[in-house]
Amino acid sequence: MIEVKNLNKTFKVHQKEAGLKGSIRSLFNRKYIEKHALSNLDLSIEQGEIIGLIGSNGAGKTTLTKILSGIIHPTSGDVKVMGHNPWERKNEYRRSMAVIMGQKAQLWWDLPAMDGFLLLKEIYQIPSRQFYESIEYLAEYLDIKSQLNIQVRRLSLGERMKVELMAALLHRPNVIYLDEPTIGLDLTAQKAVRRFIKEYRKEFNPTMILTSHYMEDIEELCSRICLLKEGRKIYDGKLSILHEDYAQTKLIVATPQDDSLISQIDFPKELGDLSVHGKRIHINSPRDKTMEATQYLFNKVPLSDFNIQEQEIGDIIESILSDKERI
Amino acid sequence: MRNWFYQVFMMELRKLLAYRADFWINFIGQTFFSLLIAYYLWESIFTSTGKAEINGFSIETMIFYYLLAPLIFRIQQGQGIGFISREIYDGSLNKYLLYPMNFFKYKLATYGANSFFYILQLLFIIFLYTLFFNTAHVYEFKILPLFFFLLSLIIGIFCFYFMFCLVEFMAFWFDNTWSLGVILRFATSFLGGALIPLSFFPSWSQTFISYTPFPYLIDLPMNILMLKIESQEMIFQMIISVVWTVFFATLALLLWRKGNLQYSGVGI
Repeated sequence: MIEVKNLNKTFKVHQKEAGLKGSIRSLFNRKYIEKHALSNLDLSIEQGEIIGLIGSNGAGKTTLTKILSGIIHPTSGDVKVMGHNPWERKNEYRRSMAVIMGQKAQLWWDLPAMDGFLLLKEIYQIPSRQFYESIEYLAEYLDIKSQLNIQVRRLSLGERMKVELMAALLHRPNVIYLDEPTIGLDLTAQKAVRRFIKEYRKEFNPTMILTSHYMEDIEELCSRICLLKEGRKIYDGKLSILHEDYAQTKLIVATPQDDSLISQIDFPKELGDLSVHGKRIHINSPRDKTMEATQYLFNKVPLSDFNIQEQEIGDIIESILSDKERI
Repeated sequence: MRNWFYQVFMMELRKLLAYRADFWINFIGQTFFSLLIAYYLWESIFTSTGKAEINGFSIETMIFYYLLAPLIFRIQQGQGIGFISREIYDGSLNKYLLYPMNFFKYKLATYGANSFFYILQLLFIIFLYTLFFNTAHVYEFKILPLFFFLLSLIIGIFCFYFMFCLVEFMAFWFDNTWSLGVILRFATSFLGGALIPLSFFPSWSQTFISYTPFPYLIDLPMNILMLKIESQEMIFQMIISVVWTVFFATLALLLWRKGNLQYSGVGI
């Protein structure tokens, strides 16, 4: 469905010294630096798959989305999406994909959403029946029916995101690029958007690439993730096995029956780090020592409550991304 | 099915008609004030020189000229094209790249709607003039000149469109090209004859101007309407204006392709 081979994108950015002197100097002599937004990237995505693109700011996620959707040209490399070269911008390709950008509105600002939809109906050549069915389904599900005749610029951020989603899905695209679809939304709106994307996937089974800084988006929607760091791919695989491969510790949370015992626990350093949180103790234990640590604790202190937690997925990703050797 | 072009055209037209106050202020204010200034200026010039005709213009034809020339300029200055350079700068161009439509056609539809709107105003003014003033010695109401007048106007609309695109596409390479657009509009107005009729320019500069595309935008349609041009010369000049248009269109398309390689879609 999507095949990316040896993709590179380099931007030439001009550098200016600070202050008026720098500004004047840059009028005559400009210094340029090369910024490698993507380096030798390979990626293969199957029909119907949903993949989460994760990385810090400037890792190349948006650049990749822009290349795949045909907005920008790569410096080198091969990309085929449904057999098309995206940046050739063939209408056939553009009719079968959609891009949703959380930070950038695409609908006509001065028009009510419905007028924009009618225009898109013509642009995408959507048959009337399919168009009205889609409107009905999408507006119903996103609970936005009453807002369709209001100018887009007068809608709240959450409502705007919903009409943007509608606009992008009217023509039933096979490939959908979602770039930060929940950015800036409140928790309820975030949940609504996530729930909708999930539901839409069940119904139409499109291929999706999702970029988000919110781990909830990724955890809830994606089964596979791709970690980018400084334009390179550093992990590509199932989200579920990320724990097994990369989680280094587990968290043991225990509540002793008697508070006074807490201070008497002399926990061996090699089994984990112990910290006290009110009546509870937390032990951050290496994965291969968790059993031992648990047994040790059971033998030493009578407990009234106890559980073992996996490391948060966000923490694991953060530790992979901040690992300097992983470039 | 190319229906979206019509939809965009109508949408833009609806937008123009939606701002009623703006419509009337624009229509009455601009026409009335530019006419008032022209009248007092040229009246004093004609009185002080004591001549009934200067460079082929009487005071009546001059008033008629100043009634229409600014409007023709407005028809062609491309209000509906918007600021393509800004769209390139802030990344809103992405929209046109993602939707399955031709960028040039889309912009042509919005620009065309604006031009169409001003053409209606222009025809209305010509109608009013014919109704209330003596048109003898100014222009003759004949179908054929009116047809060629409109035709030259339409060629001019296309010509300015591609010239404007060329200038705005510079934004692919330079962050700010706002001043270029202003220069182009000023050049069109001055060298096209919207400020002063071209026959008032020194003859050496008239020759120079005739090698530029500008006189075909305003001067030519005015000359056709006011029957100041022989039909053979008119056909010749219209062909030249078509050649200019094709030249700018080709260049704009080339620059668009080159610029797209450069485009980074920032601002997202």
